[in-house]
Amino acid sequence: MTDRRLRYFEFWRRDPRRDVDDEIQFHLEARVADLVGTGMAPDEARRRATAEFGDPRVVREQTVAIDQRIMRRGRRSEWWLDIMRDATVSLRSLRRTPTFAITAVLCAALGIGVTAAILSATYSILIRPLPYPDGDRLVAVYGENTVRGYHGSNISWPDYKAWRDGTRTFSSIGIWTWTTATLSDDASDPERAYGALVSANLFPTLGVHPIVGRNFTVDEEPPGRDAVVLVSNRLWQRRFASDSAIVGKRIMVDGRAHTVVGVMPPSFNFPDRGDIWLPFAVTPSQEEHGNRGYAGAIGRLKPGYTIEQAKADLHVIDAALVREFPVDNHGWRAELTPMREDLVGDLKQPLEVFVAAVALVLLLVCANLANLMLARGTTRAREMAIRTALGASRRYLTMQLITESLLIAALGGVLGVGIAWWGVRLLRFAFPNQMPPFFISLTLDAPALGLVAALTIATGILFGTVPALRASRADPNAALREGARGAGGSVHRSRLRSILVVAEIALSAVLLVGAMLLVRSYRNLAATSLGFDERGILSAQLALPVESYSRARAKAFFDDLFARLRAEPGVTVVASAQGIPFSGWNIQSEARIEGTPKPKPGEELITHYQYVTPDYFKAIGVPLLRGRWFTEADHDSLNPVVLVNEQMVKTGFGGSDPIGKRLRVGGNTDPMETVVGVIGDFRHYRLPQPMGPAVYFPYAVYPSHQQTVVIRTTRADPHTLTTPLRNAVRALDPRLALYQVQTFDEAVSTSLWRQRLQGNVLSIFALLAVVLACTGLYGVISYTVAERTREVGVRMALGATRGNVLALVFAQSGRLVALGVALGLIVAFFATRLLGTLLYGIGATDLTTFISVPAGLGVVALVAALIPARRASQVDPIIAMRSE
Amino acid sequence: MTRPADLLQGTLDLLILKTLSWGPAHGYAVARWIEQLTGEALRIGEGSLYPALHRLEEREWVESSWQLSNTNRRTKVYRLTVKGRKQLRAEAGAWTQFVEAVYKVLKTEEQPA
Repeated sequence: MTDRRLRYFEFWRRDPRRDVDDEIQFHLEARVADLVGTGMAPDEARRRATAEFGDPRVVREQTVAIDQRIMRRGRRSEWWLDIMRDATVSLRSLRRTPTFAITAVLCAALGIGVTAAILSATYSILIRPLPYPDGDRLVAVYGENTVRGYHGSNISWPDYKAWRDGTRTFSSIGIWTWTTATLSDDASDPERAYGALVSANLFPTLGVHPIVGRNFTVDEEPPGRDAVVLVSNRLWQRRFASDSAIVGKRIMVDGRAHTVVGVMPPSFNFPDRGDIWLPFAVTPSQEEHGNRGYAGAIGRLKPGYTIEQAKADLHVIDAALVREFPVDNHGWRAELTPMREDLVGDLKQPLEVFVAAVALVLLLVCANLANLMLARGTTRAREMAIRTALGASRRYLTMQLITESLLIAALGGVLGVGIAWWGVRLLRFAFPNQMPPFFISLTLDAPALGLVAALTIATGILFGTVPALRASRADPNAALREGARGAGGSVHRSRLRSILVVAEIALSAVLLVGAMLLVRSYRNLAATSLGFDERGILSAQLALPVESYSRARAKAFFDDLFARLRAEPGVTVVASAQGIPFSGWNIQSEARIEGTPKPKPGEELITHYQYVTPDYFKAIGVPLLRGRWFTEADHDSLNPVVLVNEQMVKTGFGGSDPIGKRLRVGGNTDPMETVVGVIGDFRHYRLPQPMGPAVYFPYAVYPSHQQTVVIRTTRADPHTLTTPLRNAVRALDPRLALYQVQTFDEAVSTSLWRQRLQGNVLSIFALLAVVLACTGLYGVISYTVAERTREVGVRMALGATRGNVLALVFAQSGRLVALGVALGLIVAFFATRLLGTLLYGIGATDLTTFISVPAGLGVVALVAALIPARRASQVDPIIAMRSE
Repeated sequence: MTRPADLLQGTLDLLILKTLSWGPAHGYAVARWIEQLTGEALRIGEGSLYPALHRLEEREWVESSWQLSNTNRRTKVYRLTVKGRKQLRAEAGAWTQFVEAVYKVLKTEEQPA
């Protein structure tokens, strides 16, 4: 201690100015004395000494500057020495208690690791700049209908044109819509590529330019001139072997030759992971005001304008459109969303929940570590007392204990980086096809690592300070005396530990409630009656090129394909539809029942519709409730027939028998369709979206070029049919590409990925929380039992049974658990509101959850108390009383 | 006359190290020794001794401590460190070589062939 204090004195208390002044003063005085000694007059001697010395102010300034440099360096090395020394002492003391050290480090690592993983994922999803220049000025524009309450709807070309030409707040707005196309050439197998139709100004609006070649031009927008294509870097590398002369080459897109005009940059993805882009060619049907068939628009705000101003700007234009086209534009206007929000979409709310949950986990970890430190403090009370008695200052001991906490946190932080790295990689698997959306790069990068460092320090200080202050405040006298008797604890310390355990149990109760609500929501969704049988079905999409297939040829092709597939062993039904359940197929139109008056704008009967082959509903297991199925004979376009679902019967026909009644879907001028059958409702849209009215047409009447083939099989793994399916297609036409080959099971399960992720993440957190809380409880109970060994001995000597002792210990645990659970439930009651729309089929205060969590947690916690309780009950009274 | 500022910095350092090699001393004593030994020939501005001493301390060639003088005043006493002794030996060798070389040139009567 002594040399340490001296060094403090050296570098902290010294004043270099005074020292230098003293030194100069001494020199001058000594010189004067010497000169006077040789017989010089004092005045003369003083003058001579000063002259010899030179200007003392210059000397002083130079010297002081040097001294200050020395001091700064000294302080720095002093500081390092202190840290290294404290760390060495801490490491030594941790090595003496390996169980404590390992438990504490693992605990810190888990807390820091999961927090860093979740926060770094949150950062990369919600905060990291979008991969577009000035991405925060990009706005996604969709349609909304204020009368019908639609949001995020498609838009129409005339509306877009009005926005583009009339806006004062956007520097540009481009339109786009989804597309897929088959690429075929002699070099490689045909393949289906996803991408978009884009207006020439869309990519410049995004601020992205091809790395090779050019963007589309306005001249390429009219139909006929639009045989040009932009390809992604991925596609260019994979399919065209990074051919440097790609620009100007002609490739077959949907059987029609297109000229490649450019290759986009490697990081570019639109929309999501697109591979090809074609010009948005404007045909007469697109000019119709009622044709809202285009995905959306993207605008770039002029500098200085806000999205609110842009909203007002476009809404003025929309109001004029509504006045001009009162029927087609009734209720419609632009819906503006910042591009990032549009991309992040549904992910924002679960992420917020994860961050809140992980904060609770970290708090719990800190409470648990503090508890461990306190327990250790108890056993070290004697050591501290002796060191205090020998002259260690309170400040020094406190610093020493905090260093120990920081060391544990630092070791935990290093391990935590590993856990976070692993966790972030694990998160990738949470996304469908293990492929997070393009704008999310799940990596542990500099901001995340900085966060780990900050968390480490915060954790260390948070769990280290309280026990450290407490330990250093201990009265050495009392501790030494008590220590001699072997009961080194204080009431205060054990009360603090009890409070921490109560907090831990409360936190884990909150997490358990959250986890259980989300898991139950997922279960509810997964258990939703789908209305079809998703087992044993393989589906695949196929698109025939319009140029080489007339409608009759298309029908002949599919009939031929189905015949081949039916010959495969294990195949029971082969059918097709335009869009299968959960595929995102969503074509709706207005339906009019014969004999009903023309509805007012906004009150039309909107129905889902599509064309299916006769066996489609048999293939997916949907029952016929009334009437008859389609037959092969239902191809008479002069006497058309349809099937409707129950929803249609309810909303369209008021529940009355619709068989034989007629209706019309869309603006058809053909004869009205006669209803011949009613099928059961089934979930066509992704859960939790409900199904509405639907009308189904026979495929034979209007054979479409793009179909989803559905094969029901008795084979255990429907995927074994993929090769026969491919072979059958290739045998008929080698230019065709199959895509979206998947089982119905997969389609259903993928569609619930987000709900499953929510449930899984919170379950992991809750499990972690319960384990931590139980460790804490176990520690506290063990400690009290050890402390009360003597008392237990006396009680047993006086006639208490083992049962009495067990009850005594359990009563103590029970009080802590009950208090913790009660507090936790109160917090959870309010906190679960945060879950809001993430819940499905249950309320935020679901009774089952609020009953089973305390019950379950209580049982687990009491089991954790069982071991120390048993130990107490097995105390031999004689040994216990003699042990002191 | 040689003025303090004209004296080469390295030379002053070397002289200080040499004087301290005889034993610990305060700044005034160092100044007196240098004056006595060099006479009028190497008269230094005594004030410039102090920045030099402190710089040597910064380089850890000398170390210092505060002591009471015989007149009972607080004085700062400097002592050569092991590192400083090494430095003295190296610099003294280099200096001697340099001086001998210059001297040889000056003593030469004839222009070399």
